[in-house]
Amino acid sequence: MSRFLVERDGQTRVRLSEGMELTKSQSVLAVLGLVVLFAVPDITRLTSLSFQAIHRGILFGLAAVGLNLLLRHTELVSFGHAAFFGVGAYGAAVLASHFDVSSGLLLLVGSVLASTAIAVLIGYFVAGYLDIYFALLTLAFNQVLYAFVLQSGYFNYSDGLSVRPDGLNPPTLFGLQWTSSGYDLILYYFTVVVLVVSLLAMWKLVNSPFGRALDAIGQDRTRARFVGIPVEKYVWIAFAISGVYGGLAGGLFALLQLHVSPEPTLYAFVSGEILFMAILGGFGTLVGPVIGGVVLVYLLIQAPFYVEYYNALTGLVLIAVVLFLPEGILGSIPKIGTGLARRRSDPGLLREDVATVGSSLRRGVSRAVTTVRIIVFGVN
Amino acid sequence: MTTGPTTAADSGGIDRRTLLKTVGGSALAVALAGCTELLEDGEDSLADADVPDEPIESGLQTFTEGAPSVLGVQAQYGAETAVRRINENGGIAGREMNLDVVEEGGAYLTNYQQFVDEGKDVTFGPISSSGHAEMVPEIEAQEVINVSTDGTVTTLYEEDFPDVTYSFRFQNHDVMEALAAVMQAVEVLGADSIDTYAGINPNYAFGQDEMDLFSRGIEALTGAEEVYSGFPDLGTGDMSTHITEVNGEAPDVVFSSCWGGDATLLLEQGHANGMFDAVDLLVGPVLYGSANDLSEDLVDGPIYSGSRNFYWGEPSTDQWSPAADLVSEVEDEYGVVPTAHFMSGYGAVTAWATAAEKAVSLLGRWPEQEELATVLENHGFFTPAGYHTIGADHQGYSNAHFGELTWSDDHDAAALSDVNVFAAKNVSPPPGETSADWIGSW
Repeated sequence: MSRFLVERDGQTRVRLSEGMELTKSQSVLAVLGLVVLFAVPDITRLTSLSFQAIHRGILFGLAAVGLNLLLRHTELVSFGHAAFFGVGAYGAAVLASHFDVSSGLLLLVGSVLASTAIAVLIGYFVAGYLDIYFALLTLAFNQVLYAFVLQSGYFNYSDGLSVRPDGLNPPTLFGLQWTSSGYDLILYYFTVVVLVVSLLAMWKLVNSPFGRALDAIGQDRTRARFVGIPVEKYVWIAFAISGVYGGLAGGLFALLQLHVSPEPTLYAFVSGEILFMAILGGFGTLVGPVIGGVVLVYLLIQAPFYVEYYNALTGLVLIAVVLFLPEGILGSIPKIGTGLARRRSDPGLLREDVATVGSSLRRGVSRAVTTVRIIVFGVN
Repeated sequence: MTTGPTTAADSGGIDRRTLLKTVGGSALAVALAGCTELLEDGEDSLADADVPDEPIESGLQTFTEGAPSVLGVQAQYGAETAVRRINENGGIAGREMNLDVVEEGGAYLTNYQQFVDEGKDVTFGPISSSGHAEMVPEIEAQEVINVSTDGTVTTLYEEDFPDVTYSFRFQNHDVMEALAAVMQAVEVLGADSIDTYAGINPNYAFGQDEMDLFSRGIEALTGAEEVYSGFPDLGTGDMSTHITEVNGEAPDVVFSSCWGGDATLLLEQGHANGMFDAVDLLVGPVLYGSANDLSEDLVDGPIYSGSRNFYWGEPSTDQWSPAADLVSEVEDEYGVVPTAHFMSGYGAVTAWATAAEKAVSLLGRWPEQEELATVLENHGFFTPAGYHTIGADHQGYSNAHFGELTWSDDHDAAALSDVNVFAAKNVSPPPGETSADWIGSW
């Protein structure tokens, strides 16, 4: 075996670094994912897919990866992650609008610093809470920030701030002033690099002793405390790291949109969407939230152009995911793959599927008839 | 007060040549001016032009839902009516026009980008001021013309983006309606009788811009002192604290740029709290935007409203058949009276369509975006609202309307009486000068 190939449990695995190993099929999927990511500009040029929508989706997906650290490992549901996304976006916008900072990378540094500071602050107050209290507290902090920005002249109220240091042109990237299409392209490839590095860092983190401790905290806080894990401190650190991902995504979003206003970045609905992205893509996986981000953002952007009741569409998709893909898009792939393989080897299973669907429908209709009878006649 | 340049309704003496010359030289321009019936059959000077067969694809983003839809849906009706008239009259240089409409709320940039991705020839909208400001640099980068229906903050083209190529705005900008409000107040009360004024305006760029311009104007004309200025949130559920403050100060004039549901709320709570007994006059540039939502009891009192660059009853529909036809068509088609925001949509489409046809007649082929943008600069055209120009600054200039809020039993909607028409040159600065500097020089 070479340095990059190891044998474990009878399987050959690709070893990226200590503790970071992929099975063969995972390696193929990872390479395929990378190729697709880098080919997005060409794919969108040759098809009717929207480049901007995919780019935007990846950024929200990155924020969802951050949220997923809490959701998947500490089992805490945050309804306030737009706070970090928004603060990240505003961090870049304030530097560009009020301080004429023209370097895109400096703007991004500002985003990360601002969101880290806010995440550390909010994390300090919420780390000791669980369940509904944690969810409501994060939502409350999110809304406080939203209301503050909306009322503040410094942030230009609901109109928001431009991220064009000279008023017309985008910031420089790598010291150069690009044309509009060149800027979009460079920023996209930069986003892909940031995404890959962020995913690798998250992978390393969740597979580290710290990540295992978070899992223990998620399973049972009291037991985790008894084995010596400083629970609140670890949750606080996880919350701050999660916020950094949100801020990084928000900063890149500001560089992409070149204008930041409160509603698309800081509003509580955005927090709900980030949470939904993690669930949609598969919160039991590392990359699922990115898939969820791209799918949901694409849906939200495109739906108004094709569906009249587009607001209902998000709800319908959520219902469909919960009922039919409870483990999300990426999380359900192995299960779907196994199911298909079993049906290929044993076609008789298909007959059972049809029978199951038929009996479910019969049961549903029977229940509906009973309910109607009770409503109409008062008795069954 | 001055009136628009075309007040004559009796067209019996106008021959085809004079009519065509007057409205800009083409049957389409005549149709969009609302004068189709005046035009007999004749040869089409654009017939030989090298123009593609496929229809023109266009997109409009506007508020189709929620509180702002009071304005947004009117703009949609206006744009659809203009497109319908274009297609009923043979299209633009023979090309039919399709219009896709999408909700603008919070998605200004992505909507515009999506329209561009779909290969739209032109885009219209938005209503939102901040949305318009957000879009301008992107429009310049994408190089597909956008004619904004609204988004009227004065500083947009005066200071923020003074040198643009592809971004235009049809509706009058804020300075025109804020100064029309000043002049209306002076006319009703007299400059000597206005010693104090107050403002209740929505808390965002539009409301702040309007209040700033009104303050500059009324102080310059009357020397009045501001006694209160409140900025309730856009879409607020309560204005009573602001109304109480105003009642306490009892100013001579209250200025409010509240619109949509905010305008209705201001009138409701103003009546309930006796504001119209405490003040001599309320002037509101866009109160009439809610014409179809107001009730008869709400329009009672010393309330004057603007109606931007179009009021359907001025000149009187008895004398001006294009407006009469339009009101009738809109009431039949949509069941509402058209407001100024209807004209925002109608005029934006008409501006582009008449400029496109002019460009085709000049070039003998369909124009590129840059060529069409050049033609749109200093372009003049008619709608049922009268004559309009798009200035070299890419801002539309038309007459501004202001009148006393009243009730029309015939239309079962709010109406304006004693309408004053302010020529653009009297309520907006000369080219090259900013509004603030111009008012400061009074």
